[in-house]
Amino acid sequence: MKIEVIDLKPKKLVIKIKDIEPYIVNSIRRILISELPKLAINDVVIYDNTSALFDEIIAHRLGLIPIPTDLSLLNFRDKCVCKGKGCPSCTVRYTLSKENEGTVHSGDLQPAEESWAITEDDIPIVELYKDQRLILEVEAILGTPKTHAKWQSVISPGYRFNPTIEIDKKRINEIKDFIKDLPSNLVTLINDKLEINDISKLPILESYIDQEKIDFIKIKKDPNNIIFSFETDGSIDANNALLKSIEILKEKYNEFGKLLKTIK
Amino acid sequence: MIIPVRCFSCGKVVSQVYEEFKVRCEEYQKVVKSGEKPTETPKEILDDLGVDRYCCRRMIISHVDLLQESAPYE
Repeated sequence: MKIEVIDLKPKKLVIKIKDIEPYIVNSIRRILISELPKLAINDVVIYDNTSALFDEIIAHRLGLIPIPTDLSLLNFRDKCVCKGKGCPSCTVRYTLSKENEGTVHSGDLQPAEESWAITEDDIPIVELYKDQRLILEVEAILGTPKTHAKWQSVISPGYRFNPTIEIDKKRINEIKDFIKDLPSNLVTLINDKLEINDISKLPILESYIDQEKIDFIKIKKDPNNIIFSFETDGSIDANNALLKSIEILKEKYNEFGKLLKTIK
Repeated sequence: MIIPVRCFSCGKVVSQVYEEFKVRCEEYQKVVKSGEKPTETPKEILDDLGVDRYCCRRMIISHVDLLQESAPYE
């Protein structure tokens, strides 16, 4: 197995994996979608809300704000030592109080401890006019995305098979004619080799090949050569998300293996 | 009403770029109306703001900000 990083940003990861079976990548993808925990606001106590939005709408908008999550410091509430009462090792508290005219942003949520400050601080929650005000207190807890989408930190995870384009070298003139009709910068033809410039635009090339019923260009996809990509919403680094999801997958197999041993 | 926090389809947080998009888009419309050549089109603004997928783009393009009109009614 070989890994080549194509793009690594705090919120985005694209890697090329060679010599791997698709089911392994798919299981990681599914863990990212449904098992990777993160913090999200779960309890809202509204003391005063005279804004134009209903309490429920504000509570819903608060739930969708990504909160930076350090998974090594937190436990699930139902597995915590406080037995579900809520303590600093399973709960993060914020307060919000705003009266003046203007927009209330997610950065106005004041954390009880400075280390939990919200990094995505310019998400508008509500706009206040004249003497309207909003005073509330919230509790954020860990959760998994299969219980509610607000606990989903990973966006659009997916994998595609790395394509290789094969051409019939005897019909090079026909290929040159075909390339003229394509959108500019889609492909380049160098020394009898046709290469696509941006791999995410492969469907465009495929649709042209389908439409013109072309048989001198063939796109082969290798299922053991995979491009895996996903984004995160900012609550966890893309790199950490992948490492954590592999840890979760490992734990699941360990548990499964232990159960199998008990069968006689 | 107010811009949704996340994209309905993919879940990307899109609301924080809306304010900037609105300002830059108004600038574009002003320049176009005066008959000059704009420095950037709405397409380029969205690309620059990192809104790549069309599901996220429609959240911003098709949004109508109406919160101010319902503000007098509590």
